[in-house]
Amino acid sequence: MSTFQQALFVARKDLLLGWRARTRTLAVALFGMVTLVLFSFAVAADGEVGVSAAAGFLIVALLLSSILSLEESFRLETEDRALEGLLLLPVDPVAIFYGKAIANFVLLVLLGPVLLPLTAIFFSLELDGANLLSLALLWVLAAAGIAAPGTLYASMTSRVTGRDVVLPLLLFPLTLPILMAGVRSFDLILRGDAMSQLKGWTLLLAAFDLVYWVLCGALFSRTLEE
Amino acid sequence: MRNVATGIGLLGILLLLVGSYVGLFVAPPERHMGDVQRIMYVHVPTAWIGLLCSTFAMIFAVAYLWTGRNRWDDRLVGALEISVILGGLLLVQGMLWGRVTWGVWWTWDVRLTTSLIMFLLFAGVLALRSFVEEPLRRATWSSVATIIAYVDVPLVYFCVRWFRSLHQMPSSPETVHSSMIIPLRINAFAMLFIAIWLIAWRARIESKSRGAERPPERIEIKGALNG
Amino acid sequence: MAEGPAGVIIGGWPYVITAYSITAVALALNIARLAARERKADREKESDSND
Repeated sequence: MSTFQQALFVARKDLLLGWRARTRTLAVALFGMVTLVLFSFAVAADGEVGVSAAAGFLIVALLLSSILSLEESFRLETEDRALEGLLLLPVDPVAIFYGKAIANFVLLVLLGPVLLPLTAIFFSLELDGANLLSLALLWVLAAAGIAAPGTLYASMTSRVTGRDVVLPLLLFPLTLPILMAGVRSFDLILRGDAMSQLKGWTLLLAAFDLVYWVLCGALFSRTLEE
Repeated sequence: MRNVATGIGLLGILLLLVGSYVGLFVAPPERHMGDVQRIMYVHVPTAWIGLLCSTFAMIFAVAYLWTGRNRWDDRLVGALEISVILGGLLLVQGMLWGRVTWGVWWTWDVRLTTSLIMFLLFAGVLALRSFVEEPLRRATWSSVATIIAYVDVPLVYFCVRWFRSLHQMPSSPETVHSSMIIPLRINAFAMLFIAIWLIAWRARIESKSRGAERPPERIEIKGALNG
Repeated sequence: MAEGPAGVIIGGWPYVITAYSITAVALALNIARLAARERKADREKESDSND
């Protein structure tokens, strides 16, 4: 099996496990919803402030949910020492990383169809077909940007006491560019892009994704060494 | 080696006193900002050397992963701590300056924002270290986290710059009058020497502590993942 | 902040002094911390070699 195939195998395994424990997976989506509701109450959701802040709230909700999702993805591994088992198999650690990262990425993307419509509803945003497509692309890029470093850090923090604190502490500052790019792009998509900046932001996000998918993959095997 | 480092440090302190004196009392006040601009003579060197130390951290992290030698982890700790200290100082100095010149304690301009994120990123690596007890794992993970943090900094910088580009943001002075260069340079060297001294010292302490610990055994995976 | 003649900001000195002082104090505290840590490390090494 090539590394690529191994990665897909790992991804499939993780997604299958996610499906079997789908109540837990749905709980993460529910958490995202609750977060949006909280934000809606934090500002007058349909006022001017609400509309302009909607993008920010959406991405932050994604970030918060991602912590739960990422921790979940490694919980099984640490609970039954399954990670060691996986390592004993002739599986390339790189494949483990990319497999888990892909699975995490998919789960984060799946939060989109849940959180995006809710954001539009709560904050009285107008979405049409063209917007939707751009937003979908944006979401995919943002999810990818969170999934790579998130998987790396989650694998580390899952083996450490105080994991609940350390993962967000490490991950959130790192993903600031995603937050900024996401908010800006969302705004531009919804409120018009007079100066054609959207392309630039999208490229920035894509660059971030590329850098971190490569970097984290390269570093992952080092974090498994003992 | 130890005495060299201490010597450099003392020289640094001396230079800092000299440079600060010149900056505070000898250099002319700036045209628009008056005397408050004198913060620059400590603020800019802090920024330069802070960034330099974070680069050192990055280099040490790569060196550790490359060679596996503990001395690089010792130096990494030193560089991380100094980066965080200077980073924190940078924020405080910047806030004081901003309070006077812009009237607010904080503003989300490029430099302050990037400085804040950088501070959080590197402090996060130190936080991670405090949670990992096993030395080998701690060293490896610190190196990994440092590299990831460092790579993020330019990304954050460009993002924020772009983010803010549409807004009229108050800017920090870019050009410096020639008579102001001298105290700036003196303090820059001062900070550099002090930083080198403190990094070397911290590294030495770390290697001493390491000597006092049981050397990490070649643990089997089973035991290691107990965390 | 008050403005003096020709739009120059005046009254910034307290902030300048604060900035320099905090910097100096931070460095001094760090030096003290390192010294204390070194003493502790030396003591531990002492007791280890005496075991």
